[in-house]
Amino acid sequence: MRTDSIQPIIRFDHASFGFPGVIALDDLSLSIHAGEFIGVIGPNGSGKTTLCRAVLGLMAPIKGHLHIFDCACEELRCHHRAKIGYLPQKGVVDRNFPVTVLETVMMGRYGALGLFKRPGTKDREIAMEALAHVAMDRHKDTALGSLSGGQQQRVFIARALAQQPKVLLLDEPTTGLDITMQHNVIELVQHLHRQLKLTVLLITHDINMIRPCVDRLVLLKTRLFAAGPPSDVLKPDILSQVYGKELVITGQDVVIVEDYHHPH
Amino acid sequence: MFELLSYDFMQRSLLAASIVGGLCSFIGVFVVLRGLSFVGAGTSHAAFAGVTLGYLMGWPPLALAILFGLATVWITGWVEEKGRMKLDVSIGILYTATMALAILFIGLMKTYNAEVYGYLFGSVLSVTGEELTVIGGLAILVLGLIVAFSKELYFIAFDQEMAEASGIPARRIFFLLLTLVGFTVVIALKTVGAILVFAMILIPASTAYQLTHSLRTLTVYSVIIGIGTSLGGVMISAAWDVPSGPAIVLLATALFFLSLFASPKRMKSVPGHTH
Repeated sequence: MRTDSIQPIIRFDHASFGFPGVIALDDLSLSIHAGEFIGVIGPNGSGKTTLCRAVLGLMAPIKGHLHIFDCACEELRCHHRAKIGYLPQKGVVDRNFPVTVLETVMMGRYGALGLFKRPGTKDREIAMEALAHVAMDRHKDTALGSLSGGQQQRVFIARALAQQPKVLLLDEPTTGLDITMQHNVIELVQHLHRQLKLTVLLITHDINMIRPCVDRLVLLKTRLFAAGPPSDVLKPDILSQVYGKELVITGQDVVIVEDYHHPH
Repeated sequence: MFELLSYDFMQRSLLAASIVGGLCSFIGVFVVLRGLSFVGAGTSHAAFAGVTLGYLMGWPPLALAILFGLATVWITGWVEEKGRMKLDVSIGILYTATMALAILFIGLMKTYNAEVYGYLFGSVLSVTGEELTVIGGLAILVLGLIVAFSKELYFIAFDQEMAEASGIPARRIFFLLLTLVGFTVVIALKTVGAILVFAMILIPASTAYQLTHSLRTLTVYSVIIGIGTSLGGVMISAAWDVPSGPAIVLLATALFFLSLFASPKRMKSVPGHTH
């Protein structure tokens, strides 16, 4: 995808994030253009979640600038935030919360509606359409807690789609799912990226899973270590500097990065 | 029993009980889902400390109850938001500190004051017409705000950070919820008392939680249970001459334990389960 001439929709300009005395992500300069599929990778503590919170407008830079939809991060209004569909990490949301599939997806409409407005027929239609996109429309009255992990992820993706977003931000969407479900979720995201022309930011540990579908990979280690097409980023010398012992490379093209478990 | 209904005091009591029961069980849905159960207990004891200070100093007890109750919920919310310590720790400290204040203020009173104990244990059968007007007015205000912001309240109860990320002013809605809890506690103080108001908030919503997987149905069930047990408790209290607060709460508790056995969530195959 050629993006040089297009105005970026997300632009980090020497932005640093963290708290006084603690920098979680330092001096990040990165532009993300409309329609791109970006994979964000890096070891634990590399700043992936910080980048996610920054894009959601939940964290302003302590140095530098972050512009989202041509608006400074700290000036993000509710209607800007509603343009970013967000799938949180599995486990963050209480899966036994008494809520049906349709009620969950309808929450995606609340931000766009604004205060004092009740969701109407049009919002219900949008929610049903979002459920149809993830093939969960026939489960609309099912309890969220009774679905399998993969189905719940689909429902949360539908909730994000119900916002009618321009950007889809997915934080570790395949964690805790079996291998078939992982592939299903990634295929679904690919499909939505193409069909709805969404800009996708996918944060993951699983490089193998996403390398065939992303336009660019962003490799973090508390700063931007590398960014570019997978073939440019997934090089043994670059990866070994970031992952060290956690890296296993088999063959020329296959890269496996696992969470490194220190022996007790 | 039905001849009791012809008495003015009984009509006032039933009206007050249904207002308080309905309001507590409605706000209780958000309290239970957002995991703020202990906040209700802390707030009610703080509000009682305000009442005792009012009687000690000759200031309006209800106004001080609101002030103490709101100060407690706001400090609790601020501590949780800043992540300084766990919510149950901060509310536990405020809960015991305000109760200590209440005991201190009662100790400083020169004479025994039965009205103060009325606020501690509740006395719905002695609610006056003026008190009913205040309860009704405040309840309409709180109910109106809950209805106006219900979609935002449901969302922050589900996941506050996701709500914020979706464009909901989640932080302000959270403090609104805490404020509404504070007002609800004060409204219920006279009828069920500081000790038992927490149960009125917690039990109907927890009972409804056992019976449904839908937010909307949960809310409807909770309000029906709240009003039903309040009215039932008042009738039992009047008919058998037992204190009204315990009658309401024990009836609600019995229903809660029944719901545990009848809960569809206990069944091996949950309705609508898919693999």
